[in-house]
Amino acid sequence: MPRHGREKVKRRCCPNWHDVSVIEVQELTKRFGTVRAVDGVSFTARPGEVTGFLGPNGAGKTTTLRMLLGLVTPTSGRALINGRRYAELERPVMEVGAALEATGFNPGRTARDHLKVACMAAGLPLRRADEALEATGLAEAADRRVIGFSLGMRQRLALAEATLGEPRVLILDEPANGLDPAGIHWLREFLRHLAGQGCTVLVSSHVLAEVEQVADHVVIVARGRVLRDAPLAELVRRGELTVRTRQPEELRRALEDAGAAVRAEDGLLRVSGVDAERVGRAALEVGAVLTELVEERSGLEDVFLELTRAEMGETQ
Amino acid sequence: MIRLIRAELLKIRSTRMWLGMLGLSVGFSLLGLGFYLALAGVEMEGGQSLPPVTDPDMVRAIYASASSGVLFMMILGIIGISGEYRHGTITQAFLVTPRRGRLLAAKLVSYFVFGLGFGLATVLATVAVAVPGLAIRGGSASLLDHDVPTILGGTVLAMGLYALVGLGLGALIRNQVAAILVAVGWVQIVEAIVTVAVPQVGQWLPGGAVRAVTRTTGGFGGLDELNTLPVWGGVLLLLAYGLVFAAIAAVTTVRRDIT
Repeated sequence: MPRHGREKVKRRCCPNWHDVSVIEVQELTKRFGTVRAVDGVSFTARPGEVTGFLGPNGAGKTTTLRMLLGLVTPTSGRALINGRRYAELERPVMEVGAALEATGFNPGRTARDHLKVACMAAGLPLRRADEALEATGLAEAADRRVIGFSLGMRQRLALAEATLGEPRVLILDEPANGLDPAGIHWLREFLRHLAGQGCTVLVSSHVLAEVEQVADHVVIVARGRVLRDAPLAELVRRGELTVRTRQPEELRRALEDAGAAVRAEDGLLRVSGVDAERVGRAALEVGAVLTELVEERSGLEDVFLELTRAEMGETQ
Repeated sequence: MIRLIRAELLKIRSTRMWLGMLGLSVGFSLLGLGFYLALAGVEMEGGQSLPPVTDPDMVRAIYASASSGVLFMMILGIIGISGEYRHGTITQAFLVTPRRGRLLAAKLVSYFVFGLGFGLATVLATVAVAVPGLAIRGGSASLLDHDVPTILGGTVLAMGLYALVGLGLGALIRNQVAAILVAVGWVQIVEAIVTVAVPQVGQWLPGGAVRAVTRTTGGFGGLDELNTLPVWGGVLLLLAYGLVFAAIAAVTTVRRDIT
């Protein structure tokens, strides 16, 4: 994505300017009356990664994102993008793109006019409106009033708007809502492409299967608090390996010598306490032929339900 | 700032709402005008219902018909801000311009400018019908006599300032339907009653200020002369209302959480 010369200059002369685009949320809290909608939330979303922000309804996801974007004032704590609060960003639209809800359109306005308003206000060239419509597959519908748009088309228009300023940080609230399977596939490719270019992507969702396929890192919240903040791979790893071999007895002894717990089951060995590499080495040492070596994973959904159920039980 | 104002003006132009409101503004103005032209000096049940078109008060009333359009510019102002909350476009607006005070300032300036244009269009339509109408009824076709320039200019200014009142009301109430009902109820019921029942209070209301700048004292058609401020007093009062409601719009919007 093209960077602007102006920003490079600023980067050199401003000591606080981060070299990379990051989202940092530190001890963020928001009280509405007596309700703590967000209660000491901290996490970081890094460049080159898609960070999934997950939680049940009412967990405080949207409030957190809105504090990050300067729409809601935090009761305490900080939410920073590239080291600064949103309101302090020089050209916010060129640093951060956000799509918060599918309803943020005047139904009587055409898609192109909607984007042109944003371009004008942000000081972007008006051709960016057409380019963004093209990139999100809405070029055909550019001159139609939004009232005739499906939910999926509104989501695409929201994404077009978020990418108008070609930002390096993208914050999306439930972007998969209302998309058909082809749209979801397109969205996944789109997000992976952005992350591949070094962008920082924060996506809130409750469609866990979607997040599982696209996220590198996952932050799970419930009742305004962070329950887990971990790489997806680590989160879903169960720590058990399934091994199929022609020499189960020899391998079993070797693994147990290496400190693993091993159960034999229908010609399979279920191994825990060591990693896959250690299993491979053990097999090599005893000359066992491996026909299968699988790291068992639980679905993100299981992890999510387990975590949130524990949280709900604990506080009730 | 200029780009924000241009963006706000595009927001107004890019939906059809303003056309509808302009249609209503012109329609209401011409309705009142037609009523005056038709009934001026006509004998009814032994007496004259309205003074003849040669009476300066009648001429003033005819040109002041255009000022009935202020209600519709006020509604456009209400929609200009409550519509942003209703459709959630306020989120986009604040994401693009996180310094909310600047966005509000741009909105106030563009609605004021748009209101002047809206007023000019309404006044031109009124003049286009009033001049030939008066000529046909045997009145003066001059646009310079009987305070007509003051009335027309005052109407245009009132439209611009009523746009600000609308923005303030929309920012305060935010529920679009409720805000419009309050505006219509205020203009059509509260002000109408207070003006006739307690004119010494009525002259200080926004509607009283409009009567002052349009030189409509109500002193015909059987009514007594109503208390009315001088023209300059009306202008100052209108400006004060415009600024107070602009301040309300700014104060209620700058710090509020957008959820």
